[in-house]
Amino acid sequence: MRRHLGIVFVLALAVSSLAAAMSQEQSAIDELKKSAVKIYLDCGSCDLEYIKTEITFVNYVRDRLEAQVHVLVTTQATGGGGIEYTLTFMGQNDFKDTSDVQKYFSMKTDTDDDVRRGLVKALKMGLMSFVGRTPIARRIAIDYTRPENAGPGRDRWDSWVFSLTGSGYFSGEESYMSRMANASFSANRVTPKSKVRLGVSADTEKQKYDIDGEVITGTRSSWNGSGLFVKSLGEHWSAGFFLEGESSLYSNIDLGLTAAPALEYNAFPYSQSTRRQLRFLYKLAVNPVKYREETIYGKTRETLFRESLSATLDLREKWGTVSVSASGSHYFHDFSKNQLDLFGIVSLNLYKGLSVFGLVGRSWIHDQLSLLGREPTFEEQLLRLRELPRTSDYFVSIGFQFTFGSIFTNVINPRFGSSRSGGMSIQIN
Amino acid sequence: MSGKEKTMKKHISATAALLVALIVLAVLPADAQTLPAKPAGPTQALPKVFLDWPGADLDFFRTEIPFVDFVPGLGEAQVRVLVTPQGTPGSETFVLELSGLKEFQGDDNTLTHTPAPGDKPEDVRKGLAGLLKLGLMRYVAKTPAAKFVSINFQDLVKPTSVVDKWDFWVFNLSANTFLMGETRYRDAMYYGSFSANRVTPELKVQTSVYGNLQKMRFDFGDDIYESSSHGYGFSSLVVKSLSQHWSAGAFLSAQSSTYANLKVSVSAAPAVEFNLFPYSESTKKQLRVLYRIGYTGTRYNEETVYFKTAEGLFQEFLSVAYEVKRPWGMVSLNLEGSNYIHDFSKNRIELGGEVSFRVWRGLSFEVGGSYARIRDLLSLPRGGASYEEVLLRQRQLATGYQYSFSVGLRFTFGSTRSNVVNPRFGNGGRSISISM
Repeated sequence: MRRHLGIVFVLALAVSSLAAAMSQEQSAIDELKKSAVKIYLDCGSCDLEYIKTEITFVNYVRDRLEAQVHVLVTTQATGGGGIEYTLTFMGQNDFKDTSDVQKYFSMKTDTDDDVRRGLVKALKMGLMSFVGRTPIARRIAIDYTRPENAGPGRDRWDSWVFSLTGSGYFSGEESYMSRMANASFSANRVTPKSKVRLGVSADTEKQKYDIDGEVITGTRSSWNGSGLFVKSLGEHWSAGFFLEGESSLYSNIDLGLTAAPALEYNAFPYSQSTRRQLRFLYKLAVNPVKYREETIYGKTRETLFRESLSATLDLREKWGTVSVSASGSHYFHDFSKNQLDLFGIVSLNLYKGLSVFGLVGRSWIHDQLSLLGREPTFEEQLLRLRELPRTSDYFVSIGFQFTFGSIFTNVINPRFGSSRSGGMSIQIN
Repeated sequence: MSGKEKTMKKHISATAALLVALIVLAVLPADAQTLPAKPAGPTQALPKVFLDWPGADLDFFRTEIPFVDFVPGLGEAQVRVLVTPQGTPGSETFVLELSGLKEFQGDDNTLTHTPAPGDKPEDVRKGLAGLLKLGLMRYVAKTPAAKFVSINFQDLVKPTSVVDKWDFWVFNLSANTFLMGETRYRDAMYYGSFSANRVTPELKVQTSVYGNLQKMRFDFGDDIYESSSHGYGFSSLVVKSLSQHWSAGAFLSAQSSTYANLKVSVSAAPAVEFNLFPYSESTKKQLRVLYRIGYTGTRYNEETVYFKTAEGLFQEFLSVAYEVKRPWGMVSLNLEGSNYIHDFSKNRIELGGEVSFRVWRGLSFEVGGSYARIRDLLSLPRGGASYEEVLLRQRQLATGYQYSFSVGLRFTFGSTRSNVVNPRFGNGGRSISISM
């Protein structure tokens, strides 16, 4: 009996001292976390919640100036239809002396989970240079499983990638119904020396309204085929050729064909394109077209010659995003038939939680050669089924956001659902 | 050379290659004890590192760090690691200067290892190797060896272990406008909000006030149509964590909306939630069941179809949400039902879901949709909506159901190694995203 008691006592002592040791260890680890690297993750397309649950050996802050590492993630499409993620690690404050760039490539066939795993891996590897400077480094384990040797073989498809997609969207309620369908096929071959993109797509859309027994139906349909051939001429120049065929009810075009040789100059080297580009594109096009209904100029078919010039500036920096473009074109048979488009977007991550953005678009349109000869019906106007005469259009959006308070955003709390932060999100391709 | 000679020569070289392979195989296992196996082809090449530390125990570092190739001279090295002990022998700190050479030119970093007092020489060496592993990652990441490396944090740590004078409160003020137009059409939207949130693993507090206003103008030539709609309100959510599976909380809100015919509507609803999977796995899978019961007091803009201008009602609500995200794709399903307590026939049930599934390599399938059976539109105005309001979808309309369904199929084949980025003439894949 006494022996039993003794054993129990020893056991209890062991358990309690183990627990004490463990809690002491835990508090030591919590102490390490306090001095962990502060990072600012500047990535619009990342699954942030997943990253924060998978990488817990850093502290996430919401203000870029507070961070010791600013991780800027930029993306570009790859020839295979995947995405190239460029992770730029910029040391700041006491880590100012080091920086790094890592890349991660996703494939077109990757699922969301594949992509977020790949990104987390690339992030972890890039962060090691900075984590190595904080005491938490000694709790990081790096393992290596030796691969069975099987290097990549030859590419029997010679860089050609084909893709076939089909989609449909249907919605409705008692007084409203809408149907949309789309199908497309593409074949692309992208190498550093040349680029070939071929594609065809077809769209159809139908809307139906029932207003007190009166039924209004609207339909839109179009198809389009296009080809692009580009040859690289050094780090700044490229030459190419556009081919396009289209048919569209909205634009009153039964069949339109376009062939256009083109030349492009990029003021920055193309190799920096994920961060900065300033591109000028000149295009000379010949465009035979057949209209569905007689146009406002009394034509049912004609062949048009047109030239266009566009300039685009894209910058993605620590302090924000700038994308500005201007493009102008005119027809040769009548120089007054011209168009000018301006577009600009600026988003600045200013200082101490203050960010602002502005978006401006303005067009001057004097080249609507395909406009209907007749007045569109009331429904065609309201449902925007037909192109309407216009001489200009614009959109403007400005906004600001000011955030203050805690700088840490480490916590993920999924209870009662994770709400997205309110406001707006803009995606421009 | 005749065709026969050619085949003969092929045979001989194939036999020779086989022999070499056999010899390599026979020698390898014995060799692998002391030295890491030499990779077979240049494609699997490991980064070549020159450890610039006279007297270093190279064999030790070779076994500790198998994912680089320690070379004896600077000549063939891609990375140079200069180790400088500082301070008095026995209690020195070690400065590791990593510099990239050749294709890693410019990739530099400096790390410092400070052994804990009382560390034995083996511990010091082990600590140094551990830190060197971290330092070398940036180079390894740029070689094919990256695929075979895994990095893990060995501990669980609370995300709140930080020094935070704001105690996790975050405040946010934002305002946006969006204006657009063309010769015969104008649309203006204004949006503003203020929020105060505090999210910790134990408690979540989210509150916000918001307002929005939209104005539209159509010019039909002989006729001009103008409209204005607005909404504003307050919402707040408090959730307390009870365990890895249970949470309890409350919703509080007030709103006004022309779309929904609400002059003012105030509601309060306590709620509980159960998650079949631990909350800590929620980015991978969750199955959440939420029950809510609440009171809503409403004053309408226009008299409703039930001849009410104001009323106070109790309502209960149950939802089941299932989400899973895996390498094969993702599934998200949502089932919601609600009813009023004073009249159970005033109810609504909604089912929504989304599945994206990689069937086989390049073939993937996506389907999504929702269906709602609606029997609870108590706020519909008796006066109905105008022709234009219907077409512009500016008013909620009487309906017994609402559905949407989408389906998509994608098949990609061809080269799987086309990671080339060629930005010339635009690549149709650069996106700008701004979240406010």
